[in-house]
Amino acid sequence: MAAIETTGLTKRYGEETALEALELTVEAGEVFGFLGPNGAGKTTTIDLLLDFIRPTEGTATVLGYDTHEETDAVRDRVGILPDGFDLWERSSGTRHLEFALDSKGGTESPDALLERVGLDLADAERPVGDYSKGMKQRLAMAMALVGDPELLVLDEPSSGLDPHGIRTFQEIIREEAADGTTVFFSSHILGQVAAVCDRVGILDGGELVTVDTIAGLRERSGVGSSLVVDVAGEPSVDHTELVDIDGVSEVTAEKNGRLRVTYADPAAKAHAIHRLVESGTPIVDFDIEEATLEDLFSAFTGVEAESVREEKAVDDSTVPQRTAADGGLAGESASAGSVSVDEEVGR
Amino acid sequence: MSTALLARKDFEDAIRSRMIWAVMGVFVFLMGIIAVGAATDNLSDTEPTEVIGVVANIGGLLLIPILALLVGYMAVVGERQSGSLRVLFGLSHSRWDVFAGKLLSRLAVIAVASIVACLVAIVIALALFDDVPLQTFLGFSALTILLGMAFTAIAVGVSAMASSRMQAMGGAIGSYVVFTLVWHPAVTAVHYLVEGELPGLEAPEWYFFLLQLNPLEAYRAVSSELADQFIWPMLGWQTMIEDVPEETMENPNALLVSNRVSGDLPFYLSDWFAAVVLLCWIVIPLAIGYWRFERADLN
Repeated sequence: MAAIETTGLTKRYGEETALEALELTVEAGEVFGFLGPNGAGKTTTIDLLLDFIRPTEGTATVLGYDTHEETDAVRDRVGILPDGFDLWERSSGTRHLEFALDSKGGTESPDALLERVGLDLADAERPVGDYSKGMKQRLAMAMALVGDPELLVLDEPSSGLDPHGIRTFQEIIREEAADGTTVFFSSHILGQVAAVCDRVGILDGGELVTVDTIAGLRERSGVGSSLVVDVAGEPSVDHTELVDIDGVSEVTAEKNGRLRVTYADPAAKAHAIHRLVESGTPIVDFDIEEATLEDLFSAFTGVEAESVREEKAVDDSTVPQRTAADGGLAGESASAGSVSVDEEVGR
Repeated sequence: MSTALLARKDFEDAIRSRMIWAVMGVFVFLMGIIAVGAATDNLSDTEPTEVIGVVANIGGLLLIPILALLVGYMAVVGERQSGSLRVLFGLSHSRWDVFAGKLLSRLAVIAVASIVACLVAIVIALALFDDVPLQTFLGFSALTILLGMAFTAIAVGVSAMASSRMQAMGGAIGSYVVFTLVWHPAVTAVHYLVEGELPGLEAPEWYFFLLQLNPLEAYRAVSSELADQFIWPMLGWQTMIEDVPEETMENPNALLVSNRVSGDLPFYLSDWFAAVVLLCWIVIPLAIGYWRFERADLN
């Protein structure tokens, strides 16, 4: 049974289309990344799944229950961390958790939940009005986990979180996934989605552009990683030869004696270096630039990737190359030209 | 179960609001001043029920409705605007649970406030007079609680319909403005159109019927009967736009509805019918409010 299944799900506000004929299947037990810039329709989709809003056309089921006809059954089985919410300022964190436990009939101990999300037990006694955005986010996550939901819906979970909090949340997501919980993770920050998700759906302008694994996206987009070799003087090699190496997709000579070898198969880069050395090319230095997720994103959504890459090239000397491999932290510290597609303004 | 849980939680939050305690404080303070002032007068020809007139005027016509509107107007839309409605839904509460829970909690707040107001009235009466008709005072208390409920229901209904705080505030303020400023002149205008003249001291029964469909007027009319004296509304439209003789200013009891219609009062001007009017002002705004809330896109 699919955890989420939508058929022709459409939401329009007057002339404006927020979501257009969404066909999406999220399998039970997977961690699904729902990726797109702000305003792409991610929250609209979540609102439709939980019957906060009603579709203009189409239907959706969550855990096999119709989202509109069987809302109660859906909400009983889903934990949600919404985007942009307030809690009840005059109540303490502990009181919030007690309310969540009563509401969901949960049997967890409040202290264990607090510990899981990394919220201090002393802080939990304070009224939530005193909390920072990150603390509220942690508390809301604890409330979402109450009652061991079958599906966890997280909408921009990292907003307001520091890198440590982001790691905590990723840890929780992995634990929940290992426990069989389906996780629906919506974000505009590519690195975070890549860090935890089995599959990713890219949403842009209300339309689902593609659904695939990160590796699959990488392969299909044709966006490869590249080996950048600094050679003394002008590159003397007839670099078209490098293209013959299995897995190399493109070779370009850049100014300042730089040679860029783009490859789809990581094994190709050793061959390329080897061939260059054999041909007697004096190699001063070499570096590897992983294809970043924003390159992938651009490839699928048509957002101009070049501008992003150029800014990055300028930064190369000072800023370490950010890749998906750094656990998605890049997203949070993103500055211009980095991972964030549409920078969330810190609120 | 879910409704009760939400109501309890909301009540906990609501009674922590300083605003409610401030309004109650102002009321008790005002009543205290009036009571002290009255105690120094010669009360020999004063009836204890005159306390009802004072409490109905300051408490019933002004503070209770305003407190109810203040307490109610953010009940639903506040959660909607702040996004905490999503958290509530995520905790498996339904739209009905949220609506009903909020309503019950706010009704309870206003019930407490109304009871305090009425207790103040009873305590003052007991302190100043030897022989207090408790039954009349209890009837007045029930009526005041009903009025508080009606205004809470109007506010919560408006809150459920509104999609923003400003809309809800506009609806809440607007309703009080309509009841105090617009209703009476509008009914008088109808009289003018139908009869070709302004209503005099004696006026047709339907005229008073239309006036008493206003919850504040219904409350005022019954309170007047209970206190056996004419209770002035917030604005004395009777002397401003009605064609009543000047002398009534000296003897406002001539303005009691029972003195202004010929013969016995028809059933729709009786005390119990006023209670029906107030009940309608509870049920209808809530029904419309929930109907709209149930169908709304909550984002």
